[in-house]
Amino acid sequence: MTDRLPQDDRPIGWWELLASRLDPRTLAEMTAMSRRSALKLMGASLAVALGVPGCRRKPERKIVSRIDGPEYQHPGEPLQYSSTWTEGPHPYGMLVEAIDGRPVKIEGNPSHPINGEASSAAMQASIYSLYDPDRLTAPLRSGQPIPWPQADAEILAALRSAKRTALITRATLGPSERAMVERFIQAAPGARHFVHEPAFDASRRAAWQTVFGQPGELVPQFDRAKVIVSLGSDFLGTDGAVLANIRQFSSRRALVDQAPTELSMPRLYVVESGLTVTGAAADHRLRARPSELATLARYIRAGLRTDTPSTGFVATMIDDLREARGEALVLAGPQLGADVHALVALINRELDAYGRTLAWNPSPPTLPPTDRSEIESYLADGVDVLIVLGTNPVFDWPTPRIRSLIEGATLSVGQGLYLDETLAACTFALPASHNLESWNDASPNPAVHSVCQPVIAPLHASRQEAESLLLWTKVLAPDDPELTDLRDWHDFVRLQWQRRLFPDAADFEDRWIESLRTGVVLRPAEPPVPPMDVAAAERLIATGSLTSGELELVIAPHHAIRDGRFANNGWLQELPDPISKLVWDNAAAVSPATAQRFDLAEGDVVELRAGEGVVEIPILLQPGTADGAIVVTLGYGRTRAGRVGNAVGVNVAPLVQPGPTPWLASNVYLRKLNRRYPLVRTQEHASMEDRPIVLAGTLSEFRDHPDLIEHLHYEHPKADIYPEYNWQGPQWAMAIDQTLCIGCGACVIACQAENNIPVVGKLECEHSRNMHWLRIHRYYVGDPENPRVYHQPMPCQHCENAPCENVCPVNATTHDLEGLNQMVYNRCIGTRYCSNNCPYKVRRFNFFDYQRRLLRAPVQELAYNPNVTVRSVGVMEKCTFCIQRINQAKFAAKNNNVPIPDGAVKTACQQACPAGAIVFGDLADPASVVRRWHASGRAYKLLAVLNTQPRVDYLARIRNPHPALASSQGGHG
Amino acid sequence: MTRIEGTPLPTREALVLGEVDFRRLDDDINRPLESFPTLRWWAAFAVTSSMALMLLFCLGLTVARGVGIWGVNIPVGWGWAIVNFVFWIGIGHAGTLISAILFLLRQRWRTGIARFAEAMTIFAVVCALIFPLFHTGRPWLAWYWLLPLPNAHGIWPNFRSPLLWDVFAVSTYGLVSLLFWYTGLIPDIATARDRARHPLRKVFYGVLSLGWTGSARAWSHYERAYLLFAGLATPLVLSVHSVVSFDFATSVVPGWHVTIFPPYFVAGAIFSGLALVATLIIIMRRMFRLQHVITIRHLEIMNKLVVATSLMVGYAYLTEIFIAWYAGSLYEYFSMTNRMFGPYAWAYWIMIACNAVFPQLLWIGRVRRSILLMYPIVILVNVGMWFERFVIIASSLSRDYLPANWHYYRPTWVDVGIFVGSFGLFLTLMLLFVRLLPTVSLAELKSVLPNAQPARRARHG
Repeated sequence: MTDRLPQDDRPIGWWELLASRLDPRTLAEMTAMSRRSALKLMGASLAVALGVPGCRRKPERKIVSRIDGPEYQHPGEPLQYSSTWTEGPHPYGMLVEAIDGRPVKIEGNPSHPINGEASSAAMQASIYSLYDPDRLTAPLRSGQPIPWPQADAEILAALRSAKRTALITRATLGPSERAMVERFIQAAPGARHFVHEPAFDASRRAAWQTVFGQPGELVPQFDRAKVIVSLGSDFLGTDGAVLANIRQFSSRRALVDQAPTELSMPRLYVVESGLTVTGAAADHRLRARPSELATLARYIRAGLRTDTPSTGFVATMIDDLREARGEALVLAGPQLGADVHALVALINRELDAYGRTLAWNPSPPTLPPTDRSEIESYLADGVDVLIVLGTNPVFDWPTPRIRSLIEGATLSVGQGLYLDETLAACTFALPASHNLESWNDASPNPAVHSVCQPVIAPLHASRQEAESLLLWTKVLAPDDPELTDLRDWHDFVRLQWQRRLFPDAADFEDRWIESLRTGVVLRPAEPPVPPMDVAAAERLIATGSLTSGELELVIAPHHAIRDGRFANNGWLQELPDPISKLVWDNAAAVSPATAQRFDLAEGDVVELRAGEGVVEIPILLQPGTADGAIVVTLGYGRTRAGRVGNAVGVNVAPLVQPGPTPWLASNVYLRKLNRRYPLVRTQEHASMEDRPIVLAGTLSEFRDHPDLIEHLHYEHPKADIYPEYNWQGPQWAMAIDQTLCIGCGACVIACQAENNIPVVGKLECEHSRNMHWLRIHRYYVGDPENPRVYHQPMPCQHCENAPCENVCPVNATTHDLEGLNQMVYNRCIGTRYCSNNCPYKVRRFNFFDYQRRLLRAPVQELAYNPNVTVRSVGVMEKCTFCIQRINQAKFAAKNNNVPIPDGAVKTACQQACPAGAIVFGDLADPASVVRRWHASGRAYKLLAVLNTQPRVDYLARIRNPHPALASSQGGHG
Repeated sequence: MTRIEGTPLPTREALVLGEVDFRRLDDDINRPLESFPTLRWWAAFAVTSSMALMLLFCLGLTVARGVGIWGVNIPVGWGWAIVNFVFWIGIGHAGTLISAILFLLRQRWRTGIARFAEAMTIFAVVCALIFPLFHTGRPWLAWYWLLPLPNAHGIWPNFRSPLLWDVFAVSTYGLVSLLFWYTGLIPDIATARDRARHPLRKVFYGVLSLGWTGSARAWSHYERAYLLFAGLATPLVLSVHSVVSFDFATSVVPGWHVTIFPPYFVAGAIFSGLALVATLIIIMRRMFRLQHVITIRHLEIMNKLVVATSLMVGYAYLTEIFIAWYAGSLYEYFSMTNRMFGPYAWAYWIMIACNAVFPQLLWIGRVRRSILLMYPIVILVNVGMWFERFVIIASSLSRDYLPANWHYYRPTWVDVGIFVGSFGLFLTLMLLFVRLLPTVSLAELKSVLPNAQPARRARHG
């Protein structure tokens, strides 16, 4: 059985198709693999040497790196380029590290005020998709390759004679792209622009527009809030500018930086239906179905108006809000209806939040999406040319109708990264360039303007979506004076940049270079929050609320895959869900009590019916889910994502409801089918089993006992009979603050990108063989129905007294004078005794040749970081404290004859973490941050009683419960 | 004690039954060598060699694909392979006990079974060595990197690692056992050489007999060499399995880090080895009609040893339970309760039943002397001893310090194939042994015949 990808003349062997998730023990595959893979790899290495678009692909137009100096000055030395990440729902500043002209690592841009150096898991994983061999590589017409000029000619002919043209784009268009779209709509006869964005907070934006009288968004300022109440808003996970939210939220929880006499933390109350990372970070959490959230909002509003103190959880929460007036904030999740948003708007008004904990952004980075019915009716009336850019309606539309509508257009053109479900239905499928190959700009708010420059010329015969529009507009409107001077999209972006930001500058060339260098231009702007139309708000409130049902459905975007756009990204598929630790699948999460009520076990497949939509989906038992609530995630069940993402999970788009609250449903029916489906988690046990693993306390406890660890009776190691080792040089150590860590997983993907960690696939994850060097352990504590959640990132502890080192029979793991536990890959024979003897189980073993097994094409090898060995079969590996970065810093310091400054070495995990939960540095340096953290009264070593003497300190988790509310005991129970 | 006039002196039960003389013994022992294998032998050989072929196939697959086709994972880095390794090494110890230790203790009754037991040791060590080599991720490098070979890089293996101690211990044990066994064989091979008619047989046994003349001097050297080897092999019985137990005892894993392991393992090794000797020798004596040479008395004595070692092993189980509570470490305590009531409880209770409970039936004389009744017990002993290692390895690794790392271990068909295949290899070697070499040490056996000491016989009448 062979399959042929249309753009590729090489037939794909059946084993390749199955390579991603086949049982490796199948005999047939094994025998075929040995012969074919040898040939393939011989061919592959030749291809890499000769044919594959390789190392040096300078973009056509001038790009500017962060540091002065001619480009490509030193082969092998990395250069950093500022750019903008535009693949996600919110644009973030990013720094792209390129070695020999190809991007290998992404960081946040420290100059960018919104996310700074922080990055998200999806941002980090962008490297993977750049080199994805499943990308569409050349234009197709009805599945057959066609040269660009011919495709353009046909499309232009159709556009010229068209009476009705529809352009569907995603919502996350930057200012230049929006300007281009406008121009195109003007130039093309009978053209209309529609915006399609699956996971969007449409009802919230609409409510704000009604209440504040103009389009825009409210941006929470968590660093100014003392009391925060979230009604279903996963602001630390998926809602809004998440990186900014995490940074701001964490800035007030960094207890290490606070003076011991002035310790303070905000208090977060979360009321939600499913357990999210935001709920996990909460000081108080309540479970509630979506209908109950609406009721609660009313209750809060009523409670704030009266002044009488009362008892009970909600009453205390209201009192807390009231007392924190001016520093309080209430948020409502995007899935809730307009009535709740109006209520919350009024609540925030009562709390004096506007201008303090809530800022106004009149120009959000996302366009409001068009109502689906509007798109359907326009298409149904017949369309001559339909253009779909960068969005995948055929996949995420609730009904298959859109597909027939697209096919019903006289000429349909789709442009995107992959030959996805939508592009497959279009006449023309045009390849789009990747974010890292693109020019663009973004203005998340009036004060921040960031530019996106490519770091590599397009690997394939792709072009940017906006470039297509420019080309077509130039031909359709040849007399437009502005466009005639422009050679390409780069020129358009540059022109717009000048117009918007430097209209009068004489030295624009220098400004442009500087903009490219830093990636960001700031303009002072603090637009005031518009006055509220209270009457309109009251009218919205009266429109009613979601009816309650025995079962209520919540559809949420996936924490990594989002709405399916990243489905073919192996790194993101294998990133465990922060709460459930589920990989490679989505499921319907229900509480154990609900499961018991319906006689469901985990893995039972049920038929889930909500309104008109039906899906068959496996059940996941998730403590912390509200009883009667069912939470499902978008983005799975793709059919044309690529070899990684196809047939993974279940598409829940049919469950999306018509009406104002598409992500909620209360007429939900469940029927147990006679089938089971294996769900794979990377962590199976969630209880700490009374062991002192994550130590926790309350803020008041910490205030009273600055040496919190002693107060918690933590067992220290006994005396050591061996003399202290003769350490020399900087003593590397790490500290992780468990209060700040929210479990987002950016560090995990950053480590994977930096250290060439392979993806192993679902079956290997089921056998507990996933290769992440850094994992985040998640523990439930307390009430099994509404547990407290603790996250604990686990890198290699680099024990001074490492149990792994003694037992390796061939000395493949050794210790250096600076305190690092070293792994010598080429000496390892793979007895795995080191892993058995590691009490933390941080070591990972290459049970198969994972790097080669899941390699689909040689182009993926370009993603490797050349500074890190790629490990082969039979070899142990583990976190190295990013020794390649340590060495780089050492060389630089040595060349300049200075000691390594504190902060010069940043491990990949530390750099990515939006919460700043990880610090790394030299313990011997009296002024280093890590030393200060190690000296904290909250610092302890994990399993210290074993006398492993790890170099990683954990800072105890501090919660800030309200003193009037029950069970705020500390300790590790 | 006072002797009552007229009653005969108590005599020991004869070790060889019936009217036997040297010639008859020669014929009896050499018959399997000199006759063409029966259909039964060929059938057995066909079965065992196909099992051995499966072993080769599975090992080849493992090397080609990676050790991932086994059931091991992180946290359980060792699974069936290391259980099998300890199992096979343990089995070998009974052979050395019988042939070396009992020799030094002048237990004459060992003569009937010593050679067979020693052969079992050799073959068990061969089977055992497969596992530490092939369980590594890169066996094509492991086989020589584990040896302290001088090299240009100046890199030695890590002498602090218990796995390396294993390399020394097991290779020493294998070598000494082989030499001991071979030395003991020389006079008997010479007998076969002298009896051989076919030129090929003459050459074969001639070369192997190293020119044995049978002179008094040769015998003197032989006796001394044999004694020295027995002396060398004896401490190995205690040390080798102690060193193997260090793989576990010197680690930090709760449930492994237990000081009772060395004596516990040694006792267990002897226990399982004796049981396998009994299992195999019961068949062998029947096949080759050697019931008069390997008598019920031999089997009864072995069963008494089985009971003794079963009690030692049972005591070790009780000690473990006590210490798990007494130590005051919640990790140790949990490892014990996890074994008894956790996901591997089924394996734990099989182990207890087969090792500590059923063998107690051997207190009963009737059971001890009845082949039909003792046979299932000794088979179960080996089952139980396999499970003991399995429980130690799998249950401790699958649930150690951090619950987030806990994961169950399950073998795959390759694991099972290798284990079954190792039995195939063992039995194939056994089958070849019984056809090519004398299974009973003729020379020693003749020395315990009444004919051997005519003067003494005359004295005791």
